Amino acid sequence: MSDLKLRVKEMIIERLKLEDMAPDDIEDGAPLFGDGLGLDSIDALELVLGIEQVFGVKIEDEAAGLKAFKSVQALTDFIAEHAKA
Amino acid sequence: MTDIPGHLPHRYPFLLVDRVLEREPGVRVLAEKLVTFGEPYLQGHFEGRPLVPGVLLLEMLAQAGGFLEAESLHGAAIFLAGVQDARFKAPAFPGDRLRLEVSAEGSFGGLMKVKGTVRCEDRDLCTATLLVKRL
Repeated sequence: MSDLKLRVKEMIIERLKLEDMAPDDIEDGAPLFGDGLGLDSIDALELVLGIEQVFGVKIEDEAAGLKAFKSVQALTDFIAEHAKA
Repeated sequence: MTDIPGHLPHRYPFLLVDRVLEREPGVRVLAEKLVTFGEPYLQGHFEGRPLVPGVLLLEMLAQAGGFLEAESLHGAAIFLAGVQDARFKAPAFPGDRLRLEVSAEGSFGGLMKVKGTVRCEDRDLCTATLLVKRL
């Protein structure tokens, strides 16, 4: 697992208080919302704030969120792409 | 700002902000609520020993949070979507001038996260983080 992906998973677990989960329990390709991790809109806000705080990357609107929150892999790619810019 | 009903949709007996002292839309708000013996909920909370219910301190913070919005909320509804880390440190009584301080933590998808403190004479009565949804 890439270092960034691991940190993303750790941030998700910490921020959403998924205390009984380990980074390995979260599949890279599973959707964060709905059928995958089953997160809701409140979790989305927590993630947006967590991503900004930990990685310094802003998710400006819902369109960006839709793209970034597809999966852990998509979120990791999104952060990698925008952290550099 | 004193035209409180012009900005919030809440009405008697549930309009729990009297005055807005400082306001920076999207950043922070300082508002006031003056508690009197005339508050309807004090009749039964409690008989002979009136004190403001803790949940109403949270509601005051949520309503003060409505002033973080630049536009008037008249006609729009705001709902409390979550409460985190609420602490009630001391009760509020008739005669108390409550200072409601709220600051925005961030927002996404119509949800806003705010941090709030209810203060009376430099004592913290209540601190909490609230999630508010605008519909």
